[in-house]
Amino acid sequence: MSEPAPASRARLAVLLGGLGLLVIVAALGALFIGSASVPPRDVLAVLTGRVRGVDQVVVLSLRLPRILAALLAGGALAVAGAGFQGLARNPLAEPSVLGVSSGAAFGVVVAQVFGLGGSLVEAVGLAACAFAGALVAGGAVYLIASRAGGLPVHTLLLAGVIVGIFFSSAITVLISVVDFDRLGGVVHWLLGNLGPVAPGSLAVFAALTALGGWLVIGAARRLNLLALGEESAQQLGVDALGLKRRIFAGAALLTAAAVAFAGPIGFVGLIVPQSLRLLLGPDNRVVIPAALLGGGAFLLLADTVARNVIAPAELSVGVITAFCGTPFFIYLLRARAANPHL
Amino acid sequence: VRRLVVTLALGLTLLPAAAGALSVTDQTGRQLVLPAVPARIISLVPSVTEVLYSIGAQDRLVGVTDFCDYPAAARRKPRVGGMLAPSLEGMVSLKPDLVVATTAGNRHETFEQLERLKIPVYVVNPVSVADVLDLLVRLGRLTERTEAADRAVAALRERIHAVTVRIEGRARPRVLYVLWPDPLIVPGRGSLVSELITLAGGESVTADGGQGYPRYSLEAALARNPEVIVLASHGSEQSPLVRAQWERFSQVPAIAAGRLHTIDGNLTHRYGPRIVDGLERLARLIHPEAFDRAQTR
Repeated sequence: MSEPAPASRARLAVLLGGLGLLVIVAALGALFIGSASVPPRDVLAVLTGRVRGVDQVVVLSLRLPRILAALLAGGALAVAGAGFQGLARNPLAEPSVLGVSSGAAFGVVVAQVFGLGGSLVEAVGLAACAFAGALVAGGAVYLIASRAGGLPVHTLLLAGVIVGIFFSSAITVLISVVDFDRLGGVVHWLLGNLGPVAPGSLAVFAALTALGGWLVIGAARRLNLLALGEESAQQLGVDALGLKRRIFAGAALLTAAAVAFAGPIGFVGLIVPQSLRLLLGPDNRVVIPAALLGGGAFLLLADTVARNVIAPAELSVGVITAFCGTPFFIYLLRARAANPHL
Repeated sequence: VRRLVVTLALGLTLLPAAAGALSVTDQTGRQLVLPAVPARIISLVPSVTEVLYSIGAQDRLVGVTDFCDYPAAARRKPRVGGMLAPSLEGMVSLKPDLVVATTAGNRHETFEQLERLKIPVYVVNPVSVADVLDLLVRLGRLTERTEAADRAVAALRERIHAVTVRIEGRARPRVLYVLWPDPLIVPGRGSLVSELITLAGGESVTADGGQGYPRYSLEAALARNPEVIVLASHGSEQSPLVRAQWERFSQVPAIAAGRLHTIDGNLTHRYGPRIVDGLERLARLIHPEAFDRAQTR
């Protein structure tokens, strides 16, 4: 497994081009559809700067930042999922299943108790708290589940469930101890909540997603070698420990960024990379970059449904992803029971 | 055994009074029989605590929740914990002869546990302004403060009427009321806040939303062109930040016109006598012109 052959490079380019097109179409669709009825030509007029007023606020200040947040969160969660799956060599590993999302969410709630919110500096603080929570949760799961020679599937999943429950309970404790009024909206936020993220926060979100994405995508080739087993990877010149640390840090950072700015949205990291693997095969050099775009497109479509299905009320986008994700999870669990090599 | 003796002795001394046992119907229509006029009441509801103070029945109040913060004196009463999980032990040790609880904010399990302990529970479920006034009258009768309660209700009615007179015949501005900004939670159909906005001479743009206090689409709310936006503050320092986030939408007429306001949510969300303060403030925010030259209350 050296550099990809020219043919597979061309294939990757076509694939990423296709997914990029899907993202653009989904984004345009989301820009035109919403519970405020803004006629298409008014949306165009807003985009060309010819209309001001409420329509401009709806399109540029509400829909556009929300579309960008959905693309970033979806991409981040999907790449994090692909990273965790490669790291654990387990197709069910995913930020929410592993409890890493809950850890990050705990960090965010702590930050909110201390009053961190929307300004640029505060956004960095919020993400830092989320990252700390994600690292602690991920580290705890690893320590609980690891045996000599690897991470047994069931132990890993159970460890993830337990750590997830621990942090969810810790959030409940915080909500009960702190003045309920200050955290009243947290209950909705915990279901995953995309909103109009402030420009400063969006910039922080984008920077963190780029950094985390680089950490994971840049190690995709070595992650392929790790799939052969740690010893084989060592023999092929891979610093297995260093690689695992890099992937872990990257996936935790991506999870933290998504949770800090969009809430703990589940199952994106499971559905997207696994669907891509079923379609494209297991090569991480293809799957992980594709997950960045595919995850964004998936979450954006899910959020467009969440925004419009019971308008003018709204659903939490996490509800939609969970409805898609649970059957998928069951399928993977059954398929794996039938064929352990999947 | 000793407790049994004490209970028996107590029962015996109360026997004569039992003839004059009190049968009351609570606000949900449940019948309860009390041995006598309650003298040791625990309030599990901040608004009920406020009602008891407003009718001068605070001497009968022996326990409150952590959230009972008004009037200031209520903070000095013994506390039994939060609304969702008050301490049963804490309540029992205060030896209450009545617990007042609400269907909105307390759990049904709490009522059942108290009733198994033979502590009568008076359940309130106010939804409207009329229910709040009704609650004052009921609790007044229950605590032998009938006259004080009637006076308080008459005064509140008069103030409500004064607002009605002020806003009469004026066009109703469209009002967006924000209970919680992110995700956006607003007053919907049949909620107290929707009623207060109507009474204050406004028209809530979210009154067609779900029952009670639903989540609502921000763009749908703004697309209805609210002329006044009212942000509920929740007693913390968060409001300046939330305000700044709304000020970003400077193209929205209400914000361009400087009609983005903040109101203390404790005045408008609690089913207590202070809803009339909330009503008066809302009316001033919605119809400043109606209060401009007139002398204040």
